[in-house]
Amino acid sequence: MGLRASIAAVSIVIAGVVVGFFVTQYMGHTPPTVTVSTSANTVEGRPVVDVTFTTVAAVGSGLHPNWVAYLNSDGNPSTYFHVPAGSVVRITIDQQDGASGLRNPYFGLVRGTVGNEMTVNHKVMTSINPDDAAHTFTIPDLGVSVPLLGVADNAPAGAQNVVQFEFIAPPQGTYRWQCFVPCAAGTLYGNGGPMQTLGYMAGEMTVS
Amino acid sequence: MTERRRRYIRMYALVWFVLAVAGDIGLALGPTPPFQASDLASSQSTVIKILAVIAWPVFSAVVATIAFTLFGNRVAPHEGDIDPGKLRGDSRPQIAWISASIVIVLSLAVYGTVALASDQPGAGISTTSASLRQPASPSDPLEVQVIAQQWWFTYRYPTYGGVETPQLVIPVGQKIQFHVTSLDVVHSFWFYALGVKADAVPLNDNVFTVTPTQTGTYRVQCSELCGLWHGNMNADDAMVVSSSDFAAWIQQQQAMDAPILKYLPAYSHTYEPNPPAYGT
Ligand SMILES: [Cu+2]
Ligand SMILES: [Cu+2]
Repeated sequence: MGLRASIAAVSIVIAGVVVGFFVTQYMGHTPPTVTVSTSANTVEGRPVVDVTFTTVAAVGSGLHPNWVAYLNSDGNPSTYFHVPAGSVVRITIDQQDGASGLRNPYFGLVRGTVGNEMTVNHKVMTSINPDDAAHTFTIPDLGVSVPLLGVADNAPAGAQNVVQFEFIAPPQGTYRWQCFVPCAAGTLYGNGGPMQTLGYMAGEMTVS
Repeated sequence: MTERRRRYIRMYALVWFVLAVAGDIGLALGPTPPFQASDLASSQSTVIKILAVIAWPVFSAVVATIAFTLFGNRVAPHEGDIDPGKLRGDSRPQIAWISASIVIVLSLAVYGTVALASDQPGAGISTTSASLRQPASPSDPLEVQVIAQQWWFTYRYPTYGGVETPQLVIPVGQKIQFHVTSLDVVHSFWFYALGVKADAVPLNDNVFTVTPTQTGTYRVQCSELCGLWHGNMNADDAMVVSSSDFAAWIQQQQAMDAPILKYLPAYSHTYEPNPPAYGT
């Protein structure tokens, strides 16, 4: 075999390895998930699982440090979580972001949760003033939608509203969820960037 | 004309005729999308059926001609040279296909124009004013507003206090006047079973009327690329129900909406995003 042919063969092998490496990296990539913990108690025989988020105005690290996001308990932007079918999913959101207001005031309504209600700092609520919404937690295909009350502009640093609600996990499948407040500051009409990116203001709930 | 050629033409005519008639019987008797769930769907279904029944024999002729040209004209080497006959200067087939084409195209043009013109006014700009009101009579159309936003449709019913819902439910047999608008980017409201698709454009009121004629549960879908979850901007829970079921449903929605009703904007055919320049 000539020198040229050997060089060509080696180059092809190297190129193949490099391409293969990146393809497997890409395929094997899993976004960070939100830890789901199963609580000890059950409701009407259904297991209760707890999912906790924190919402912040700016992530502070990673690719988009100035983006708004839902964070998991490690403080990373994450919107993927797994729950068992038929369980009671109890979502707790430490809402630390200020209000930017809903484009469609209708989403100020709590709907599709157990009792069509939520608690905000332990107080039961069925709606909020749409102008006071910082985000929403909405799973359109389940009809679940909960507005998240923004913290006051003059609130001290670290202030938060603890929003809690429950819904029944549907049969198995993947369900998208998202925010309906155009909260992506600095983008056109507040609907760009984090509003259009999984892991920030949009995510998936996998039911298995 | 040789005997061989005569046989060939007879065979061709027979194959074409059988293909055309069998296909046309199937097309004429079989269901044609978008089926019969509304007046518009039925009329579209009729138009599509007529077009298909006329087009099928033409299609059959094309297929039969290709097949016969490829396989029917074969001459084995031992058969020697056979005069295939001349088409040039043979005016009879020319006159036949030219006049047949003219008749088919012109009659379809006339039919299509009449069908289009006689259909009720489709999408257009509203001339009615936006207000909460009771219909003056039961024959008045029921107004239903479609509000598109990234990424869910919501609906408002001005006849019922402007109640807003994330599910579309309409009564069967009643004329519905849809008003379609958007709160952010351009979406498109597609209710396939009713045979309707209307662009949802911000600050624009897109209007059409349709009368659903079959109860059932249907899909609505966004058909304009609109962002991250355009592909999931659909719902399988749109329903056409009896008027008594509709009355019960709308009452239930009014009760569910009670906590938010005071915050909803006055019913309007378009909505100015508020505040107008979020986040920019
Ligand atoms: Cu948000
Ligand atoms: Cu859309």
